[in-house]
Parts: sequence; C-alpha cells; structure tokens
Amino acid sequence: MFTLDWFANFGFSVFRLSTPLIFAALAAVINKKAGMLNMALEGMMLSAALGGVVFAGATNNVWIGLVGAVVIGVIVGWVIAFANISGQTDLYLTCIAVNLAATGGTVFAMFLLTGEKATTSAAIKAYTLPSITIPLIDKIPLIGPMVSGHNVLTYFSFISIFLVWFFLYKTRLGLRMRAVGENPQAASSVGINVKKIGYISFLIAGVLCGFGGAFMSMGWVSFFMKNMINGRGYIGLSAMNIAEGNPIGSGIAAVFFGFSDALATTLKSQGGTFPTEFLDMIPYAATIIALVVISSIRMSHLKKIQRGGK
Amino acid sequence: MAQEVLRMEGITKIYDNGFVANKNVTFWLNEGEILALVGENGAGKTTLMKVLFGLEAPQSGQVTMNGAPVKILNTLDAIGKGIGMVHQHFMLVPSLTVAENVVLGIEPMKNGLFDFDTAVSMTQEVADKYNFNIDPKMKVADLSVGQMQKVEIMKVLIKGAKIIIMDEPTAVLTPQETDELFEQLILLRDSGHSIIFISHKLEEVKRICSRVTVLRHGYCLGSYDLADMNESDISRLMVGRDVVLKIEKEAPNIGKPVVHIKNLVKINEAGKHVLDDISFDIHEGEVVGIAGVEGNGQSDLSDVLSGMSGFSSGTVEVNGNDIKGKTVHDIRGMGMAYIPEDRMEYGCAGDMSIRDNIMADRFFKKEYKSGPFMKKKYIDDLVDQYIKDFEIACDDKSQPVRMLSGGNIQKVVVAREFTSGSNFILANQPTRGIDVGAAEMIRKTIVKKSREEGTATLLISADLNEVLECSDRLLVFRKGKVVAAFPKANEVSEAELGEYMLGLKTMTAEEMEGLL
Amino acid sequence: MNKTRKIEMTVELVRILVAVAIAYVIALVTLFLISDDPIYIIQQFVLGPFSSVRRVGSIINLAIPFTFTGLCFCFMYAVNKFNLSGEGIFMFSGCIVTLVAINLGEGLPFPLMILVLLIVGAVVGVVVTAIPAFLDAKFNSNIVVVSLMLNSILVFLSIWVLKYQMRDPSIGSMGSYPLPDNAVLPNIFGKFRIQAGLFIAIIAVIAVAILFYKMVFGYKMRVVGSNPLFAKACGINMVGTIVIAQLIGGALAGMGGACEILGNYDRYKWVASTQHGFDGLMVAVLARRNPILVPVAALLLAYIRIGADVVNSRGDIPIEFITVIQGIVILLVAAEEFMGRFKKNMIYKAAAEGLDKDKKEEVKELMSEDGEGKEQ
Repeated sequence: MFTLDWFANFGFSVFRLSTPLIFAALAAVINKKAGMLNMALEGMMLSAALGGVVFAGATNNVWIGLVGAVVIGVIVGWVIAFANISGQTDLYLTCIAVNLAATGGTVFAMFLLTGEKATTSAAIKAYTLPSITIPLIDKIPLIGPMVSGHNVLTYFSFISIFLVWFFLYKTRLGLRMRAVGENPQAASSVGINVKKIGYISFLIAGVLCGFGGAFMSMGWVSFFMKNMINGRGYIGLSAMNIAEGNPIGSGIAAVFFGFSDALATTLKSQGGTFPTEFLDMIPYAATIIALVVISSIRMSHLKKIQRGGK
Repeated sequence: MAQEVLRMEGITKIYDNGFVANKNVTFWLNEGEILALVGENGAGKTTLMKVLFGLEAPQSGQVTMNGAPVKILNTLDAIGKGIGMVHQHFMLVPSLTVAENVVLGIEPMKNGLFDFDTAVSMTQEVADKYNFNIDPKMKVADLSVGQMQKVEIMKVLIKGAKIIIMDEPTAVLTPQETDELFEQLILLRDSGHSIIFISHKLEEVKRICSRVTVLRHGYCLGSYDLADMNESDISRLMVGRDVVLKIEKEAPNIGKPVVHIKNLVKINEAGKHVLDDISFDIHEGEVVGIAGVEGNGQSDLSDVLSGMSGFSSGTVEVNGNDIKGKTVHDIRGMGMAYIPEDRMEYGCAGDMSIRDNIMADRFFKKEYKSGPFMKKKYIDDLVDQYIKDFEIACDDKSQPVRMLSGGNIQKVVVAREFTSGSNFILANQPTRGIDVGAAEMIRKTIVKKSREEGTATLLISADLNEVLECSDRLLVFRKGKVVAAFPKANEVSEAELGEYMLGLKTMTAEEMEGLL
Repeated sequence: MNKTRKIEMTVELVRILVAVAIAYVIALVTLFLISDDPIYIIQQFVLGPFSSVRRVGSIINLAIPFTFTGLCFCFMYAVNKFNLSGEGIFMFSGCIVTLVAINLGEGLPFPLMILVLLIVGAVVGVVVTAIPAFLDAKFNSNIVVVSLMLNSILVFLSIWVLKYQMRDPSIGSMGSYPLPDNAVLPNIFGKFRIQAGLFIAIIAVIAVAILFYKMVFGYKMRVVGSNPLFAKACGINMVGTIVIAQLIGGALAGMGGACEILGNYDRYKWVASTQHGFDGLMVAVLARRNPILVPVAALLLAYIRIGADVVNSRGDIPIEFITVIQGIVILLVAAEEFMGRFKKNMIYKAAAEGLDKDKKEEVKELMSEDGEGKEQ
C-alpha cells in the first residue's frame, strides 16, 4: 500500500486540496489586516463556484467562466461590505446571513437556470481550467508527480501567497490597509477613507474567493453541486486565525489543513471496513484541534512571561 | 490688528443621542497667534474642533478662511485647507515606524510602490527643520509618550498645516516635556503658524497664549485678551463661579490597617516590571493619594487591588485576607469597593437601566433575592432612594444609563460603590471628565466617608489638585515604584511633587520610613 | 432625553416590521418574475398556508422547532456568543433520542418515557454545546468556526449512528427502527393535527422569559452580555455565566430535536442537517433576543415556510429561495443604519425644539452673570 506511487499520489492530493483553502485563508488575511473577521468566505466561494460554471457554460469559454467566478465573488464581497460598512450591521450576523442566503440562493439560481436542484453536471457542459506540466521537474521521481500536472489555479494559489504579502507590505494601499486595521481613527485623521479601504478589502477577498470557488467547480470537479464548499471557507478562516493574519503563515496552515483533507480522501478511497463517516470528520476535527493547540501554546507562552523570568 | 485667518460663525452641533454640544458658537483665529480655547469638560471644545477638522458635521453654521466661505466635509478637506489637528488621544499606528506614521495619507511613491526610503528622508527633514530629535525608523510602539506627541506634530507639519489644533496636548506630558512642547509651539508661531490650544490648565494658557475663547455648556461666552485677565477671571468665566480648590477636612482618625501591601511585583505581558516591589498600608479613616505621571503603575496597582488582574509575587491583604488568586467577587466580599478608571468600559453597562447598574455588585446577596428570584419591590425602593441621595438627574430608575450625562453616569457608579458597605474604597480617577458640580460632590463624599465611617480609601488621580486636596497621606509612583511619600498631602507643593514624579528626585527608604 | 428614548423604541418596532415587509415583498416579486402563472403562485404563497385546517396545523407544528432553536439562540445572543452548535444539536439529539427510545422499548409508561427522552435530548444538547463553549472560554478559539466544524462532525456522527446502530433493514430507504408507541407525542386539536410538543414549547417560552427577566441568573446574564468588562469589575463570574447560558441554550435545542422526532416522525430518518438551527438564529434576531417574542417570530417564519412549501408542491419552485429571503431579513433587522437617518432626524427635531425653548432663558442668564467684558 505505501508504495512510492502512493506517496506521490498523496502528495499530489495535498497540493490539490490545499488550493481552495489557501485562497480562502488569503482572503481572510486581507480582511483581517483591514480589521475585519470575514466569516462569509464560505458563501463567497459557493456563489463564485456556481458563477464560474454558468459563465463558462454560457460562453463556451473556461476563462470567461473564471472571470465570471471572480465577478460573482466580488459582488458578494461588495454586499457584505455594503451591509457592514455602510449599513452598520454586525459583521458576524452579516456573514451568517450571507452564508445562509448563498446556500439557498445557489440552489435556487441553479434551478432557475437548469431545472436541477443537486448538480449542474447534466445540464451544463463541463469545463475545467487547464493543468500544467512543469518540464524537467515532472521527470523527477516522487517529486515530479507530486508537484507537476496541477490545475493552473493550484500554482496560482501558491503564487498568491507571495502576491498578498507583497501587496500588504510593499504597496501604498497595503500600508494604508494595515493602518486602518490597526487604528482606524488614526488613518481617518490623516484623510484616509476608512470605509473605502474596508470596501477594497472585501473586493480583494472577493477576487480570491472567486479563484477558490472557480477551482472547486472548474478544477477539483467540472460541475457545480449543492453546498460543494463544505466548510472550506471556515477552514481557511481558521488557517488565517492560527497564523494571526500573517500571509505566509496562513498559507502554511492552509496546506496543513489540505493535508488532513487529503488524508481523509485517500483513506476513504482505499475502502476497508472502517466507517467512512469517521474519515469524513477528519478535516473538521483537525481544524478544531489545530485551533485549540495553537491558542493553548500561545496562552502558556504568555503565562510564562507573566510569571516572570527575571 | 492681526489678519484673521479663520472664522466659525453660528455653529450648532447635535449628536445622535440628542445631546447639543455646540449652540450657535462663533469663534475666530488670527494669523500668528496662539489662541486658548477653554471650558469645562463637556463644554463643547473638542466638538467644535472636530467640526473644524471635518470629523463632525454641524447642523448649522458657516466656516470662513481668509475671508472666503469654505465647506469642510471631511478631514481631507481640512488638511487640504491647511488645518492640522493633534488629537488628545494619539492617532498613531503602533506597529508602523515613525516615518510610516508621519507620511500616512501622503505616502511617497516610486514605481507605483510605497517608497520607504523617501518617507524616512522626508521625516528627517521635518524633524531637523523644527528641531525634533527622533529616529524615523523606530517603531511607534517603542516610543515614549512625549516622543509620540512629537510624531503627531510632525504628521501635521509635513502636510503643510498653517492652522494647528492642539487638543489638551499637555494632559499626558511631564512638566519638562511640556516646557519642550511650549518652546516648539512658540517656534511654530514665530514661523507664521496659528495655533488653537485647548487646555484645562490655566497657568499654561497664561504662559503661552495671547487670547482666550471661553465655552460653557455649548455656548460661546466670547473672546478676551489675556493681558487683561488673570487666572481666576478665566476660571470664573469657565465654570461660572469661583472654583473651590480647598476641601475642608478634619485631621484623620487613623485606625488599624485595612489594606496591607508587601513587596508587590507585577510583570506584564511584554515582560516589563509594571509594579516593582511596592509596599505600603492603608488604614481605617484615611485617604491615601497616589500621584504620578500616567502609566507609571497606578492603573496596574488598581487592577491588582480590585482583582481585575493578577500579580507576580508579593502579598496583598484586604482586612487580613490574602487576595492572591482571588476573583473580583472574592475581594469585594472582603470589603473592597471599586470605582474604575474608565466608567463607560468598566463602570457601567450603558444599555442597562440605572436600577440594573446599581444592583450589579450585590444582586446575589440574601436581602435582594428570594430563592432564585429577585426582589423587585425592595430593589426599586432602594434605587429610588439612591437616586435621591446622590442627586442623579434622570427620568426614572429604568432609564438606560447611556442616556445620562457623564457626571450623572459617574454618580450612578459612585452610588453603587459608596453604598456597598465596604470599608475599603479603591477610587481610580473618580472625577475624570465630569462637570465640576458632580466632581465636588464625589470628592466631598470620599472625605466624608473616611471621617464619619472610618473608610480606608486609595485615591488614584491624574488631577494633582484632587490628590493634593482630598488625600491625607500622599505617595508618588514612578516606573512602578514608590519614589516619595508625604505625611500631609495638602502641604506638598505641585513643584516639589513634579520633581518626584519626573524622577529628578527620589526619596530613600529611610526618608519614607513610617510613611508607607 | 425621555423623548429620545420613546423615539428609539418606536423606530425599533417600525424597523423590524418594515424589514419583514420588504423581505416579503421581495419574495412576492421573485415569485412573480419566475413563475409561469404568477397570480396563482402568489395566491398560493400568501393564502396557501391558510387554505386548509391541516396546513394551519402545519404552521403551528413547524413553529415548534423554530421556537426551541429560537430560544436557544436567545441565550447565545444574550451573552454575545455566536455559538451555532444548535444546528448540529437538533439533528444529533433527534438521533440519540431515537436510539434511546428504541433500546428502552415499551419498558416505561407513556408520560414518563417522554420525560426521560426529553431529558436525554437536553443532556445531548448540554454535552455538545459544552465543547465550543468550553474551548472558547478556555482557549479563546473562534466559537463560530468551532461550532460549525462541530456541526459537520455531528452530521456524520448521526449518520453513523443511524447506519450502524439502529437501521431498520426491512425498509427501503435509510431509516431507523420505528419508535415505540409509548414514545410518540400524540396529536392534539383533532383535525389541526398539532403535535403535543406545543405544550412543551409553551412551557419552555414561559420558563425562559421568567429566567431572563425575573431570576438572578437572567439578570447576571444580561449584565455579562451588555458589558462583559463591567460584569468583571462588579465581580460577576463572567466565564461561568457565559458557559452556563450557552449550556441552557444547548439543552433547549436538544429538547427541540427530541420534540420534533417524537411529535412528527414515526422513525428517525434524517441524513442531512435540518437547518432548524439557522432558522432559530433568524427567529432570535427577529425577536430582538426577547424570549417572549420568540413564538411570534417563529410563527411568522413558519407561515412563510409553509407558503414556500405549498408553492414548491404546486408550482415546482424550490423551497430554497426562502433561505435568501431569510438572509435579507437578518441583514435588514440587524442593520443599524437601516432607517437610522429617519431616527436621527426625529431626534434632532425633538432636541432642536427643546433648544429653542430654553435657549433664550439660558443665554440671558449666562450673559447677565458675566456682563462685563463682552467680545473685544
């Protein structure tokens, strides 16, 4: 069972399943740096996933589908920003409401467009974004099959980690966003439009969730299905939480969760007598455990300082 | 007469909760002057300046600059028109560097990216020009309060402000830092800037301002040439009567120690010793005052004594009980009452009624409940009585506290803490930011309780007048240590106190012998 | 100031009514736009729920679980914790209650059996909510994330229990063995076919209202929810209060799941989450965390749901569109700024009137005091 091929497959699976989590985590990082906890990543990705399939199907062009997914992600981001920033709604409630609306809304929209209520696989032609084979590297045993041949969005998700870092720490908008997140009054006192920065952060998060959603419906599989994000938005949020908003750390945490997801998927596919329900729980349980372990480490560290090492 | 650069005419501002902060205020500023804007807390000074700086939109009124009417809709407008504001609470981003904070809003760019090196050199340029000694590459989180204020002023100057609003700039500074600030303000005035100086400290106003505008209860009472006025003239205009600076009190009748603090050490989350080997007692019937520049351990002491936070080592006893590891509830049970520093954050629940706020420390006691239920009638009568006794101005006991004025909210806090039957009162900034009438009542009650009921009181206050007048014994805190102790607070001069507060002088253990 | 208070209360009430009205109109417009026979469909949506005694009964029947989860979220809301485990508890408690009922069999007499099963449901609720509540209190782990992850785990756990512990192989679809007769809540009010869980729900509402407004614990909970730092400074055991409030909430959701299974089903067959938890969140938001208003909000939501159900069966319009409407209602009710301008203007007006009145006297008074040196 544990052959070289098994490891290669497993490694491939880790990268593949990390992709949506990385996008979600980065979206959470952008919002976090602007001072907001975005719990609607789930709804944003779900809407984008449907948007991608519909646009690709309508235009027979997978790239327009990708753009469509991003546009839908951005629109949902704008709705949250509008409700929270302009409407002064509690952010938690807004996000819960948006997730709720997205869960039903995607099914409703799918029904209106296709007459189906579960998946678009029968009604809309399947499109997937292309995979890329990396020359030379794909020849290396073990490493090659692991890192080569992935969907284009998988590579882009890893590049995005760097892009988000660069944006936050090297650009003017990034500087302003960090200032707004840390002390909004200070930013506003020098004439920075705090509301605008808040909107921008949700729009960027929308773009990232758009990619994440597109990967789910046009990379992971080639159709939309009901509730297909399945908690990945929340898992991405936890990854950000664990790294305290650092983009690099959040990316690493997202890969860790991708690992637990891959573990569950791989074990399930191998059959055996072990009830699959328990394997299905792995990613969720891993999230809870990681959250607890990280915060307990942080707390004991704090306590150590307070007890006073002179 | 000097050129008039700014005029605000007929400004009226009503807040969302219906509070009218400015009532038809008219105000003007001349070129190259330092104008004092004075008034009690809540007189509308800060609101008026927020209107000028575009942070609040007035319901009516007109602003003119250099004779031409202008509209200031947001801070960007204000900055563009050469107005800068140094806020009372610093508007800085701690995790960013000095240079990043200074250029925020007008960041230099290179190739479409933020240009940190240029930001540093721009900051250095301003620092050199106006004689600020500060490293642009330092993180703001690592600066002292005085340095932070310099960063604030540099932020204003780099944007080319000609009119600078300074909202209580000396409130957090040491006297030495204040002197330095004044030199800089005079330098700025002489280079053609006009400065609006908001302050409560009348001697400072006399020192550097040429003209004063007085606000009271939202109205403008006019502007006066300071050459014709002395400090008591201004204070009479501000509060409408002569301030009673003396509190009449008999000598304390000191009994047994109620609070006993021995070798108390507290290390905070950053690993800093915020309380460093503190030892003193508080006895029955006396008020012990603590003076010190804010942030020298006073709040930490208050947190430890109230049980809001723990401590690292040492012993603290209240009425003979060790408080190590005890909760606020336990310590209150030992006889402590606690007036917290920030009344909106710790002192009350704004959305709850006066009645519910007063019950919060005692609802669990037998007399207020029958079984798991609360005794409504009994509580109602009691609260009505307290409202009368403490002269709380309100509709009735079910009015949410947030709808009251600051002074009345503090009276609700005090009504709770002074009637809790405790023999130790921990009062942290009990009169901060409230009107003179309420402040006077609270101070008198503190003294009265110590004299008539033998209460032990610890009074922590940034208001030197208050600690000097209300306290019997006075301790001075600096860097988490007791650096001076005086047996009779009202015989200490502010100048002498200042030297201890700033660390120019420190008493030895022998000198403080018997006073702790 | 008194005026300000009155305005605030009036606006609050109007705001909720307008929010519900807007959402309802959006629902009607949506139906109008997508349906081939809009008049018929809208008629069905609006009047359908009242078209038969049976359907009126269904509204009330559906309002029962909403009431339980609504009360559950009143507790979460009161201590400001977005513990969403009510969703998973509802399903899991139904599952465990069925398992216990099947194993107890006919052993216990009817009312006692129901009581035991309700307690089992409540205990399941307490145990499950304790996890996010405890992790939040002890480790400050994001309670929304933990509770949602837990919900996903509970779905799988419930399916596992159903599949491996109580599946009835004699029926075609996935389902448990039938519930024993002594564990079934009877229908009441004849043709309305309302389940007897109604009484349990009514008792729960009254008990919770008393707890909130008359009892010491309710007071403590409100202080903690209103300002936790203040509660701490007053010596109220914050962590304990927050955790216990959540546990009570969890118990209510668990009882809700038990009532639903015992009242409306003859065997357990849930293989996906019921969504009643999120329905409860909406009910609590609509009721402005006031337990007394929970049944009203629950009935309203149930009415809209049954309307959607009717439309779904008659016109083939998916019931899911209701969740969009639900999201809109939550947003509108929660939006401070929605109709905020209206409120502000009323307050300004009242304040300005007051100002005009006392201005003249006050100015006169002030000026006469310091009449000496007016402006230079």
